[in-house]
Amino acid sequence: MLKRSFTAVVERNVTVHGRLETEPYETAWAGEARWFVHVLSADAATTLHIASEISPDGLTWCPHEAAPVSRVGPGLLSLPLTMLSPWQRLVLTTQPAADPVKVIVYLTLRE
Amino acid sequence: MTTATEFRRALVSADTRLSRYDPLPRILFFDDFDQGVNGWCELIGNHDGNLDKVRPVISDMRPPQISNVSFFDIGTHGAVDGTYALKLATRARADHMALAIKRLTYVKPGLVQFETYFTIKAESWIGALPERHRSYDGNIDPSVYDFGDFCIGNDVCDLEYGRRYHCALRYLNTDHEGKLVRKWMYKTSLQTSTRMVLEGAPHTTDYHVAHPDDWVEIPGGEQRLCYNELPTKVNWHYLRYVFDTSTGRNVELQVNEKVMDLRSIPVPTYPKGYWGLEKLLNFCVDVRTHRPVRNFIFLDSVLVSVDW
Repeated sequence: MLKRSFTAVVERNVTVHGRLETEPYETAWAGEARWFVHVLSADAATTLHIASEISPDGLTWCPHEAAPVSRVGPGLLSLPLTMLSPWQRLVLTTQPAADPVKVIVYLTLRE
Repeated sequence: MTTATEFRRALVSADTRLSRYDPLPRILFFDDFDQGVNGWCELIGNHDGNLDKVRPVISDMRPPQISNVSFFDIGTHGAVDGTYALKLATRARADHMALAIKRLTYVKPGLVQFETYFTIKAESWIGALPERHRSYDGNIDPSVYDFGDFCIGNDVCDLEYGRRYHCALRYLNTDHEGKLVRKWMYKTSLQTSTRMVLEGAPHTTDYHVAHPDDWVEIPGGEQRLCYNELPTKVNWHYLRYVFDTSTGRNVELQVNEKVMDLRSIPVPTYPKGYWGLEKLLNFCVDVRTHRPVRNFIFLDSVLVSVDW
């Protein structure tokens, strides 16, 4: 059988202004994941940072071991993950004084 | 009863996964969520490529999740069988709804039966009782007042520019003041479509109806579901919902022992037809919170059968 896979659009056309935590998403079945963040609009001077967080219960969170990723300006960035936990979420941050960044956030999963 | 019918019933009864269901003669699909999402996906409103134009009420229905039904206190609950269930989760925002849809078309008009084993919960917390809850007596768990409502429904159209309607049956657990209601409701107005809004209809706050009050209790619709004292103890309920695509009506809703006759319930039909929806047959499940607390509905499996 082919490996099961799933793409979840966990945030759609939302703006990041300082800090945004995505909704908890269950991934106990998956063996690996990759976050994609499509930066729809961003000021040329604004850096977007993304970091993955994990949880055993969907309530309490700690950083995943994967190194955070950054991007300046519109475009696509990704963050691959292995050793998943039962729950994942992504933390997106910009400088507090930066203009808002508009993004779509995808969590792609497979066995 | 024919020999073929008897033989078929024997086969269903002997199958440990199917024997807890009561399918009509033809099983259209059987979705065991241990196998994946099986076509249940997030519903989104119509758009022209610009997602900023999606109507707010239908712009954030949340992606369904494959859940092993785990909680902070005991770990994994699992499903009725196997490990995984389909989970819909709202945001922690009052009146937010999560809705999943499965889209088919139909071969012949007639009876369609949707069966599932489901459970509902509001999100638990770790530590002291939240301020919104005043007391704890060891039996009535305060989290039951955090659970709003959930719906079973459809979207059906017989012909292009023909008869289109949405049936929606809502279990109203609490009202917006947080008081327990625990009644099954049906809707009395059309679901506002994207085209209707573009033609001037007002935006809505309840996805299913034109006005949030457009719901009426199903005759004899009061039902106490099992909540079992904690937000982390789940008990699965049987649900069987029948509708008829030849008459465009609801037929029957059964939840555990309770059977509700729906034949006399009116179903709003769009006065103006829709292009491109020939033989549309969509199934919908949603959950809605009334408070800034995530609400969940879990489906162990779904079986849909027809009488043709």
